[in-house]
Amino acid sequence: MTHPPAPSRRNADVAPTPPATRPTAFHTNAIGIGEIGVARHEGVLRTFVGSCIGLAIFDQRQRVAGLAHIMLPDSKGDLSQPGRYADTAIPEMMRLLRDAVGGLNLRLAAKMVGGAKMFAFQSGVTVGDQNVAAVERILQGLGIPVLARDCGGERGRRVSFDITNGEMRVETLGLPPAIL
Amino acid sequence: MSDGSITRQTHLFVRAADDASRALSRWLGRPTRISVRRLEALPLERAVGVLGEGEGPLVACAMRISGAIDGILVLACDDPSGLALADMLLGRAAGTSTEWGELETSAAVETANIIGCAYLNAMTLSEGPQGTTPGDAEVLPTPPWFVRDFAAAVMEGVMLSQASDGATIFLTHTDFVIEDSPVTCSLLFVPGAGIRTDA
Repeated sequence: MTHPPAPSRRNADVAPTPPATRPTAFHTNAIGIGEIGVARHEGVLRTFVGSCIGLAIFDQRQRVAGLAHIMLPDSKGDLSQPGRYADTAIPEMMRLLRDAVGGLNLRLAAKMVGGAKMFAFQSGVTVGDQNVAAVERILQGLGIPVLARDCGGERGRRVSFDITNGEMRVETLGLPPAIL
Repeated sequence: MSDGSITRQTHLFVRAADDASRALSRWLGRPTRISVRRLEALPLERAVGVLGEGEGPLVACAMRISGAIDGILVLACDDPSGLALADMLLGRAAGTSTEWGELETSAAVETANIIGCAYLNAMTLSEGPQGTTPGDAEVLPTPPWFVRDFAAAVMEGVMLSQASDGATIFLTHTDFVIEDSPVTCSLLFVPGAGIRTDA
């Protein structure tokens, strides 16, 4: 681990992460806007999304998972913050997942939420719509099945991904939580 | 973000607060004071944290501004502050409003409308965007849109409405005092392409 702050290793093996990502050693780890978190064995990865996408990619056999908070569909060649964009976040998360298991073969699957239209003045094809389409297209190209999704609508979501059981908990204000 | 840019925005918000104070006082028929306590220029990722790390609900009224000036203006506060403000605006005893019904929402939207228009007037009269004469700029605000949601989701929606991944926002900590009762809200302006943020 070369970048501060150095995390404790309480509950999970931690994948090495570049500066744009957040190390994920904590039992419950919050993933910020445009960040990626990867953890192994146990723990919960959490984030909030509105128009952005919360994308979990995981291998339940290996008990390894990553959660990305993707802001925009296309990096347009900007590699400085790979977690921000669908076309860079997904390959980066796959690299981190492979590192986390020491190069073992992974059988990956995905769950995704977000892509909401938060304001009425967003019209036409919104950034949220574009994010959903880009993530689905990239996952399809990589052969990663999307096992569950909760996308669109007009509400933000609090997302928690539990590495121990592969469940994604989705909370929306005023509604009971959903488990994907 | 230069000091000059922050100074210019501070002047705009202060002037807008003065105008909005007068407008709200007229609307309410009671002495009302809106004052800018502090202004910050922040990357939006950090602004989300300023508004509460996303855990609790945030109430926001957002106006999209287009024309000579481009951006989104947001009046934001937590539930207790927003409901207290609604009580003041509706002439109710403090603590009357306990949830966001039609009246409370309407009060918040009207407040955002008054403050937003005051801010836009201040902006256009003070200098106007680049290449325009002060006072000549045509600015078209949308009606305020009320949202109650996780703070992080609201802020993210604001930023992505601008289709911008590197937005700098101007965040003001604004005090409302209506008949000696204080409420704290935040007023944010997320500038679009028509606003200089680097001068």
